[in-house]
Order: sequence, then structure tokens, then C-alpha cells
Amino acid sequence: MVWNLLKKNISVGQIAGYAVANLVGLTIVLTAIRFYSDVRGAFSDGDDSFVGSDYMIISKPVPLLSVIGGGRQEATTFTPDEIDRLRSQPWVKKVGEFKSAEFDVGAYIELGGRRMSTALFFESIPDEFYDVSPSDWTFDPSDPMIPIVLSKDYLALYNFGFAASRGYPQLSEELIRKVPISVALAGNGRYDRLPARIAGFSSRLNTIAVPEEFMQWANKRYGTPGQPVEAPSRLIVEVSKPGDPAIERYLGEHGIEIGGDKANSSRAIYLMTLITGIVASVGVIITLLAVFILVLSIYLLIQKSREKLHDLILLGYSPGQICRYYYRLVGLVNLVVLVLAITASATASLLWRPSLAAMDITGGSILAPVLAGTALIVLITIFNFYTIRRLVMRAAC
Amino acid sequence: MQRINSITFENTLPAVFRAVSGDSAIEHSDVWLSRRSFLRPGRYTVEAASGTGKSSMCSFIYGNRHDYDGTILFNSTDIRSFGIGDWCELRRRHLALLPQELRLFPEISVCENIMLKNRLTDFFSEQEIKNLLAEFDLLHKYDIAAGLLSIGQQQRVAIVRALCQPFDFLLLDEPVSHLDRENNLIAARMIMEAAHSRDAAIISTSVGNPLLLRAGDSPGESIVEIKL
Repeated sequence: MVWNLLKKNISVGQIAGYAVANLVGLTIVLTAIRFYSDVRGAFSDGDDSFVGSDYMIISKPVPLLSVIGGGRQEATTFTPDEIDRLRSQPWVKKVGEFKSAEFDVGAYIELGGRRMSTALFFESIPDEFYDVSPSDWTFDPSDPMIPIVLSKDYLALYNFGFAASRGYPQLSEELIRKVPISVALAGNGRYDRLPARIAGFSSRLNTIAVPEEFMQWANKRYGTPGQPVEAPSRLIVEVSKPGDPAIERYLGEHGIEIGGDKANSSRAIYLMTLITGIVASVGVIITLLAVFILVLSIYLLIQKSREKLHDLILLGYSPGQICRYYYRLVGLVNLVVLVLAITASATASLLWRPSLAAMDITGGSILAPVLAGTALIVLITIFNFYTIRRLVMRAAC
Repeated sequence: MQRINSITFENTLPAVFRAVSGDSAIEHSDVWLSRRSFLRPGRYTVEAASGTGKSSMCSFIYGNRHDYDGTILFNSTDIRSFGIGDWCELRRRHLALLPQELRLFPEISVCENIMLKNRLTDFFSEQEIKNLLAEFDLLHKYDIAAGLLSIGQQQRVAIVRALCQPFDFLLLDEPVSHLDRENNLIAARMIMEAAHSRDAAIISTSVGNPLLLRAGDSPGESIVEIKL
């Protein structure tokens, strides 16, 4: 009954104008977020679940002198000073050192009656750098079984280079996981053969990685006692913003290389973040303008109804009771805008989905735009409610 | 909130009269710049010339305006201490007002205008409201937009609306200014019955056409004439 009275002053045109403007703004924001979450999948290797794309592995280039001079180690290792300086950079979250084995490693594989053996090396990085730990990433000396994470590149080298030219069988990832491997560890006057297994493959860890726990145990057992610990030649760095130009500048100035081609992909991520950020900002600006329109029409509406509100309050209606009618109107309009914007951005994503699918990229989930849109609408609605309350209170006095 | 037994003006003066506080009209007022209590269930007729602050007095009591000097007390509470929530409660259950300008909503029907007030406390049934309108011979206007009624008819609708609630004090600001003697008598009877059944007081103002109140049967229901 009160609403019958108040709705006579509502301008459908103004509310519709707001709804359309807000719908456009919100749709742009949500579509940008959707696009970002979809395309981001293209840059992070879906198959590397151990180490995320926020990590990079850095090393120093091997100088010509090192070959001629018979290997002067200092040239390619990081001094504690350098590591500290790196740690203090604003874009660095944490820095981990590659620890290499101080003993000889050999591996033996029985495959189809053939025995293959090769000299190997092991490295380890701190466990905290694995986003997802490989299965059973531990080592127990009383029941020794060494889990190994292998670089994908090594398998590719073997399959397409070595095995193809020598007539050896090619190995799939699944197969090689099942092959029994035994590892020979020698040094410090000891020689042991321990079973090992492939725990997984990584395209970002460009090494043969074992658990740090095992490395500590083995270095103590097989390493030469008294020999000083070698400075690390490779570091794993977690960065806060992949693709930040400051990273490249710093590394360039200090003559440090990023392992693999991750630099390019992170630069692309950076550019994409920038572009979607700009698009989303345009959407946010349109949304803000729309909210401005709404606040203006609420202001006009309550101004027009001022006398009615005053009379209703004189009859004994509380300002809260009257606000509720306007809350309901604004809440409903905002809810409709949200649902339409989510639908529109989902529809828009159909435009690029087929091309992504052709590139074998599975898109991100719809969750991010839905959450962002809901959060934005909730904020807008709270602000609207506050405006209504303030104006009605003013009319009440 | 307990029932209001007395409304007391202590040295009260509308802010607009500050400049003329030496004026003889104000010096002879029974209300302004003196001490005056209205007691429940008295029947007060406030007689005054135009522009002496009748409507201001009603608005001050109703919490609608606060531009006065001095103090107004409900029982012994200064009404300046009430917040908007208190005033809502007071206007629903303790104070009823018939404003001089009626303040009906012209675009909605007579029925809706009255129900808008009645639904706050569900004081009357729809049949009881129809009976009151029938006494005023207005039942046939029940579903007509209030704005289409004559001013005299609107005044009668506003009187019915003012009675659709419990109250301790009924404030009537020139309630019968547009009514003939016959309707004045009907209004007076209806108002006195309503006040009597609620054990409530009546404060009725006029500029020469007073509501024709009589003293009631209960003790305290006597007529008190006040000059503003």
C-alpha cells in the first residue's frame, strides 16, 4: 500500500538508463576477467603441476674462459653477497638454492632384456618450492627408495635423439614410471645400489631432482668429509609479478640468465595482464558512471517524494520502514543487472572459446567473473542503501 | 513507553516570536512564556487569532518541529530527548494529529488513505472504518481518489484517519474549519467517543469555529478553554 503511493514518483526511464549503463560496464569488467582467466591457461603449462609459473630458475652464462682455463667455478656460481642482493629486490618473494650431489651417481635400467646404464647427476631444491609435492617425496634410509623428478627435456632428448638413432625403444612417460631403476651411489670409500622410481616429469625444473632430505643424507654419507660446500650455480626464485620488466632489467644488468623460455611467456602474461587491466578499468569507469546515474535518480526520486515521505513519517512510519521499499527496488534492479551481466559475459566467452579449444587450451572457470561481479554489485548496493538511508533521514526531519 | 498523563509547556516560545517577546498578545497567552499543563483525559479548546502559534503548538507536541525556546515535557520527560524511533512509537500509540492542512494523499483512494494509518496498529477492522465513514455520509466515496473530494469531505476523511490508532492525546488543528454545524456535531460526537474509549485527552484549536465539545461523564473530562 505504501509502495502504491511511492512508486508513482519513480521514473522508469531513469532506472532503466541506470540498469543499461551498469549492465554495459559490468559486462565489460566480467568479460575481461573471464578472458584473462581463460587465456592465462595458455601460458602456464597445464602438465607441470609441481612448480608454478611464478617461479624462475636463473643461472650465469658459462664464460669462454671456463672452458679454456679448465673450469674456474667462481665464474658461474652465486656468492652469498649476490644472493642477499637478489633477496632484497622488491619483486622477489623467496630464493632457493640448487644443491648438487657431491658424489658419483650411476643409473641402471632393465628393459626388455637389455641392460642400460648411464652416469647421472642429482640436484635438489628446497621442498617449499614445490606447489604440489610429487608423490611420496620423502626418503627413509631404512627403507631406501629414491623418488626422482625428471626434466621433460631429457626424456625428449632420449626419445627423439638418442633412441631414434641407436634403434633403442622409445619410452613414454607412463612406461618409464613403471620401469625399475637402480641407482649406484659412490664416494667417500662407499658404494651402494639403491632402488629408485620416477615420481614425475617437469618442464620447468630443468634438472634431475631428488628430495632435499635424500640429498642431505647422501652428501653426508658419500661426500668427501671436510670439503667445503660448493656455492650454488643455479637458483630458483619465486617472483611476485611474473613478467615485471624490473626483473629483466635487474637480471640483464647482472648478467644472469633465466632457464628455459619462461621469460617470453611471462612477458606475454605481463602484457596480457596489462591489457585486460586496461579493459577492466574502462568497465569499472562505466560502472562507476552508472552508479552515479543511479545515485542521481535516487536523489531526484526521494526529492520528488519528499513531501510524501514526510507525511508518512508523520503518520508513524519509521524511516527504516520507508527505506525498505527503496532497498527492495534497488536490490532487485542490481540483482537483475548482475544476472544479465554474468549471462552476457558467458555468452561473449563463446566468441573466443573455439579458437582456444583449437589451440588445445582448456579455459578457466566461470567462478572468477561470478565472484568478482557479485562482489562489485554487493559493494554498489551497499553504497546505494547508504545513500537512500541518508536521503530518507533527511526527508524525515 | 508508558501512557502520557500530562503535557507541560514551561516557559516555551516559538523561535519566530523571539523578536516580539514583549508583545502584549504573547504576554497574555495561557501557553507561551508561562507554565501550562494539559492533563489526560481533559478536553481543551484552544482559541486564538491566526498567526499566534496554534499549528506551531501542535507541531511541537507532535515532534514535527523543534524550533522553540523553553521546555515541553511529556509526564516529566523533556521531549527534546526523544529520537526518531521514539517519535515513531509516540505517533503510532500515544499521539494522534489532525493537521490543519489535512495531509491526505490525493492520488490514492479514501480507503487507502485511511488504511495507510490503520495498518500500523490494525486498530480498526475495515467494517468499523466503514461505519465511521457512514456516519459522515461518505461511504460512497470509499474507493474514490481523495484528491477528487471536496475540502469539507476531505476534512471528514482526515478526522476518521486520525482516529485509527490508540492515543493518549488527540491533537486537532482547526478540525471543523470546513464543516457545517451538523457535521461539526457529528465530528464532535465521534471524537469524544473515541477519546472516552481510550481514556484520552483532546486538544482542539480554532480561530472562531470551534469543535463543539461537551464535558464528558467521567471525572476529568471537563472542558478547559485556553487562550493562546
